[in-house]
Amino acid sequence: MYDFIVALIWASAGFFVLLMLLILVNKAWREVAERRLRKRRVQLEPIFFRYVTGTGPIEEHLKQPLRPSDRVLVEEIFFDLGRVVKGSVWERAREAFERLGFVDHYISRLQSRGWWYRAEAAEKLGYIGSERGTQPLVKHMDDPVGEVRVRVARALGRIGTPEALDYLVEALRDPGRWSAIRVGGILINAGEGGVERLMKAYATLPFHARVAAIDIFARIRSLKASPLLLELLEDENSDIRARAAFALGATGDPNFAEPLIGALKDPAWAVRAMAAKAVGRLKEAASIPTLCECLQDAEWWVRANAAEALKNKGEKGSQALLGMLESDDTYAAQQAVQMLQESGSLDGMIAQLGSPDKGERQASLEFMARLVMLRRTDLLTEMALNHPEASIRERLSIVLGLRRPTAWQHQVMT
Amino acid sequence: MREFLVSAIIGFNDFVLIYFLALNAIYLFLFFLSLHEVVQFVKRTFFSDYQQILQSDMTWPISLLVPAHNEEKTIVETVRSLQAVDYAEFEVIVINDDSTDNTLKALTDAFDLRRLDRVYKRSIPTRPIRGIYGSLAQPGLLVIDKERGGKADSLNSGINLARYPLFCSIDADSIIEDNALLRVVKPFMEHPTEMVAVGGIVRIANGCEVHEGRISTIRLPNRAVPIFQVVEYLRAFLTGRVGWSVMRSLLIISGAFGLYRKSEVIDVGGYDPSTDTEDLELVVRLHEHCRRKKMKYRIVFVPDPVCWTEVPNSLKVLRRQRNRWHRGLLQSLWDHKRMMLNPRFGTVGMLTFPYFIFFEMLGPFVEILGYVTVPLAWYLGILDTGFLFLFFLLSVLFGVFLSVAAILLEEISFRRYPGWMDLTKLIVYGVLENFGYRQLLSLYKVKAFWDFVRRRRGWGEMRRKGFIKRPSETTSDALA
Repeated sequence: MYDFIVALIWASAGFFVLLMLLILVNKAWREVAERRLRKRRVQLEPIFFRYVTGTGPIEEHLKQPLRPSDRVLVEEIFFDLGRVVKGSVWERAREAFERLGFVDHYISRLQSRGWWYRAEAAEKLGYIGSERGTQPLVKHMDDPVGEVRVRVARALGRIGTPEALDYLVEALRDPGRWSAIRVGGILINAGEGGVERLMKAYATLPFHARVAAIDIFARIRSLKASPLLLELLEDENSDIRARAAFALGATGDPNFAEPLIGALKDPAWAVRAMAAKAVGRLKEAASIPTLCECLQDAEWWVRANAAEALKNKGEKGSQALLGMLESDDTYAAQQAVQMLQESGSLDGMIAQLGSPDKGERQASLEFMARLVMLRRTDLLTEMALNHPEASIRERLSIVLGLRRPTAWQHQVMT
Repeated sequence: MREFLVSAIIGFNDFVLIYFLALNAIYLFLFFLSLHEVVQFVKRTFFSDYQQILQSDMTWPISLLVPAHNEEKTIVETVRSLQAVDYAEFEVIVINDDSTDNTLKALTDAFDLRRLDRVYKRSIPTRPIRGIYGSLAQPGLLVIDKERGGKADSLNSGINLARYPLFCSIDADSIIEDNALLRVVKPFMEHPTEMVAVGGIVRIANGCEVHEGRISTIRLPNRAVPIFQVVEYLRAFLTGRVGWSVMRSLLIISGAFGLYRKSEVIDVGGYDPSTDTEDLELVVRLHEHCRRKKMKYRIVFVPDPVCWTEVPNSLKVLRRQRNRWHRGLLQSLWDHKRMMLNPRFGTVGMLTFPYFIFFEMLGPFVEILGYVTVPLAWYLGILDTGFLFLFFLLSVLFGVFLSVAAILLEEISFRRYPGWMDLTKLIVYGVLENFGYRQLLSLYKVKAFWDFVRRRRGWGEMRRKGFIKRPSETTSDALA
């Protein structure tokens, strides 16, 4: 036992010393390397700037050949440059990458065992945009690591090969939403070309990729995808129907009001909720009566989205919300109150209390009375205490029953 | 009698030795697991494309829930820092849990709030809400003023009013880094159907400077008690939680910073207001719920979304905090004892529960009793001086090794403390914590066990100093 403990002590002490050394050496090495890179960058940067803005091959500008450790620095300088310049200057940078052997280096790195090397190489090939990288990249479209596949697809997208969009659509099959977001981003930038490819491939895609595809249609707001989206409103899967409804709403085209009004009556509440959200994005008034019905839906999310949609409908929507205050359905009425508050309509009604016009005052008072009946008086109470106009504070206090009106006040108010 | 005492002490000492070796073997295993995971994580992070996630409207929106009770010193700063985070769509919901100071006034003054008549679905029962405050100018901010019900009840109120499918609980005395939400949401984007909860790392803000709701200068605290906690947090998060997360057995997501799928939390009935550590209890319940439903699910820890928080500066406050934490752990273990060694609950039942019961719950007793019986054995002549010394040396060396291992993980990955002085301080305190601090924590836990048996409840008071502001800011405030 004694010996065992001693052995453990030696092992722990050895590990401890090793860790300490690792920490100290790692930190010291990093600091020295960073300092060296900073210094070297100061030397190299002007040379590369002169090269991209001048003429002649890169070798003429470099007085000495690059050291192997300069590779990271050269990449950094050019990629930083690439963020701010395009056109001929970037073409010169690309040429330098080719001549200095960077493209060959990345192509060979695509064969690396470490997935992060392959991913990094694909990323950089895409960034440089060298067409020589296309074929090696295509070979890696079926890389076993998802991260590499996404990078390869993105690189192909950046290089701009005609097949790249097909590869990107293929990459959507990757189950992660993370991949979908990134691939989606590139397809979105590709615009209508991406929509066409997605529409063509849609039927063959797995479920999660279909969902991602509809989200991309929504993001692109493409009218070209609308025939497919209209079809999908009838899909047997409620998730697909809901997303299709949202995507149609995202186009903002009032011509889709009718099918979306139909979707507001879908048996699945998620579809009704998303249809309500979608209809709220259209500049039309035909949906207002159905949205008012949705305010009385059994599902809270449908009511909430319908109320929000009515709020977005401007004056006519506000009128509908005011009308909903008279509804027998307390929830619907309360939802309407919330939206009237959020849209600022309530502030307008409160201001009307001080109006010289008797009719306006009367309308405002009736509105306040309804709020009191619904017990939605939090904001009114605060206004009764803090409104800048004394007359309005006084009238609100009376409406809320905080004080009795004098005969004169009663006369003024009514 | 003496013979019985001698054999009892020898028996217990043997047990202590085996226990010590088993516990440290687990720690070592967790460290290597974490080392591998952190290295992989750093590689993956390089390819994360956070900017694209930020710009995409396919990224899920998040409701940030900030329960606050007497937080007037830090609440405005916290809300400002939350409003400034890099994330596409989010809302901030502050829940004022019957503060007796000026928390609500500070918020209404700073953000020009007024009462609203907000309709919401009461998915989880809570204490009554007195008022909901918002502002037309800042539609993404909501303040709930409610009757006292504790942190769990406050979070439940926040969940009821949250609009988005994910919610993130954040302590009012905490500051999250700008990109923390993007990083913490990533696992939800990678595994949208399986992910239930994600925890981020909590780091210690004592000593750091804060400017406009952001940590502007990272420094170690000046006092010993918080520095010990810095080392302890590094060890707990970087070697403990990362390791448990890899084994899909993560039992704790810090209440200071955790992201949850709202629908699952509502399904399990929200946070439990009857426990002292609602964060731990919720995660255990989520595990139980998902395992019972035979769901394919994930609860993970991500080591780089950072939340900075203030920790106790004095031993008195630390004692109260640790007492509550340990009582909460005991409560949850007791309430879910059916999961213990139950294969139905997978690694959580077969691995995590036994670990927490044998080592986290009983560990402090064994340690304290060990401190008594080992010297006693030496005094009675059962143990020779050499062995006593060697055992003591081993326990200290191993403790130091684990602390330094956590510092190494920090150094090769995230490097939040860049200076040589900070690094030296961390290592020195990693050594020093084995001479008093660790023993003190064990004593606090033993006391917590006693309080648990006596069914003592309560949070105790956590005095806040508030964040250290940059000198220029303090001066301008004073001049104003």
